[in-house]
Amino acid sequence: MATTTASLSLTSTDLFDDSLSISTSNALNKAGTTIGLDQTTGLNKIYLTATTNVDVITVPGATKDGKKSHVYISNLSMDETEYMVVSVGDKVIGRLYAGDWMWMPWNQQAQHLSDIEIAPSVATGMWVEYMIIHEGVVLTSSADS
Amino acid sequence: MATTTATITINSTDLLTDELSLSTVATLTQTGTATGIEHTTGLSRKKVTSTAKATASGQVTLYTADDFAAIPYLYIKNTATTAGHKIYVYDDTTSGDPIQFQLDAGDWGFIPMHGDKTYKAYSPGGNDPVVEWMVMGKDQ
Repeated sequence: MATTTASLSLTSTDLFDDSLSISTSNALNKAGTTIGLDQTTGLNKIYLTATTNVDVITVPGATKDGKKSHVYISNLSMDETEYMVVSVGDKVIGRLYAGDWMWMPWNQQAQHLSDIEIAPSVATGMWVEYMIIHEGVVLTSSADS
Repeated sequence: MATTTATITINSTDLLTDELSLSTVATLTQTGTATGIEHTTGLSRKKVTSTAKATASGQVTLYTADDFAAIPYLYIKNTATTAGHKIYVYDDTTSGDPIQFQLDAGDWGFIPMHGDKTYKAYSPGGNDPVVEWMVMGKDQ
């Protein structure tokens, strides 16, 4: 097993009259256990040149339903007007403008219901970084024809 | 305007052969601008007593659709300490109330939301975990 931690620091000195300083951290463990997650897609960096919705990971079935996964996605664009829509299946969950990132737990439900999808707002090219740390994913069958 | 930053750090010395040490900072701004966010719900905590979505009472409303201008940032954490004491977050606006994500004990999430859906939480295990959350953005 591996030991992996994900930490968040949320700070502001002027959003409130009081200063904001939230700090939280958790160890990434397999579902219902204290055993660390030991699989990952690694950190991916891709360049998207169309506004088409694309899967960064596909869920072909429900065999991993209930297993634990965490998703990190970051929009590396420097243009503050550019964004990308993040969906789980066909349900929009996030909209990441330039420099924004998201982190969330992810459950693999029925076929394609939990595919993680990204759609850039522009076709002029957008860098995206993502990583999934997980307890197992089902890879789709090859088709060498 | 305020200056608010969110930093994620992911560390592991043994997930991969190479050490993992990722750190990313986001400055939270109003949509499509470099102007900092101004408004927040404040940090809240509430016990999640409902064991089902939609039909039973006791779900916790985390965010109401269009309460903030797009995009609001959601910070959420399941403060439970016993593995398996899960909190489910679902979209109460869309037909069928699809579950967006599940937070096990200690899990947290940070999501720049689309902002047009109502999010609610329940806990199917009946363990009454406490959810902590905050929404930041531009109120409208």
